[in-house]
Amino acid sequence: MAATANNTAKTEMIDLTKLSPDQLMQIKQEFEQEMSSIQDSLSTLHSCKAKYAGSKDALESFQPDWENRQILVPLTSSMYVPGRIKDLNNFIIDIGTGYYIEKDLDGSKDYFKRRVEYVQEQIEKIEKIQLQKTRFLNSVIGILEVKQAAAAKMIQQQQQQQQQQPQAKQTA
Amino acid sequence: MDKNSAALYKKMQGEVESYQTLQKSCVKVVKQRALLESQLNENKCVMDELNLLGPDNKVYKLFGPVLVKQELEDSRQNVGKRIEYISKELKSSTDTLENMEKDMLKHREAVAKYQQQWQVAAAMK
Repeated sequence: MAATANNTAKTEMIDLTKLSPDQLMQIKQEFEQEMSSIQDSLSTLHSCKAKYAGSKDALESFQPDWENRQILVPLTSSMYVPGRIKDLNNFIIDIGTGYYIEKDLDGSKDYFKRRVEYVQEQIEKIEKIQLQKTRFLNSVIGILEVKQAAAAKMIQQQQQQQQQQPQAKQTA
Repeated sequence: MDKNSAALYKKMQGEVESYQTLQKSCVKVVKQRALLESQLNENKCVMDELNLLGPDNKVYKLFGPVLVKQELEDSRQNVGKRIEYISKELKSSTDTLENMEKDMLKHREAVAKYQQQWQVAAAMK
């Protein structure tokens, strides 16, 4: 697996060295943009996962002997009304696009467990892509630096030649 | 000669402008497509969940502030239709995007061509 990744990196390198610094800069900018959008989606996914995990933890802390227990129901984040748990085994879960389903305790736990796993899968997928892009971006930056150094050297040499030329004329 | 290069410059300007407007609408379509894609994903998740349910599970749909009980089969059909519709939309937006990219390439080539002609004209002066 690592060997094939190296190989593709090498073929990319060969192509890259043929590009002009301007083109490389463009590629670099495009990749940086992509990287930031990847970063955004990763942070969204992480917050999603935290939400699902939070719901799951809340369900895990439910005890079977909580029937008729007095609780405080939040009306807003800072105001509560007293209530009593009447039904321990029915939860209504928002599954998206306006649909809600009723599930028992175990089913609900299972739902959130699956959601967390699903989001984790997506995170891993995107992290893989991120790693690849980072590698590619780094090689682009590396080549760009080499090219820029070479260009700077050429300009220096030209300047030196220009300085030497008047002297040559004088001697002639 | 000067007239010629001015005309060339004007043509080039026109191409650049149409390229830029295309680019803007392209960005819009890309955004729209991302939205459609996320909706499709969400609907697919809902569909998966609905398919996992048994006949004794209750399904509700949110209408404004109230939850209304739904038949499981109806919900499945509804979500299925929605997935179909969004897939169609996604496909058509992908097509428009492709066409736009082709047009953009044409404009870019035209700009390059005019640029070259302009440079040649400038060099001959």
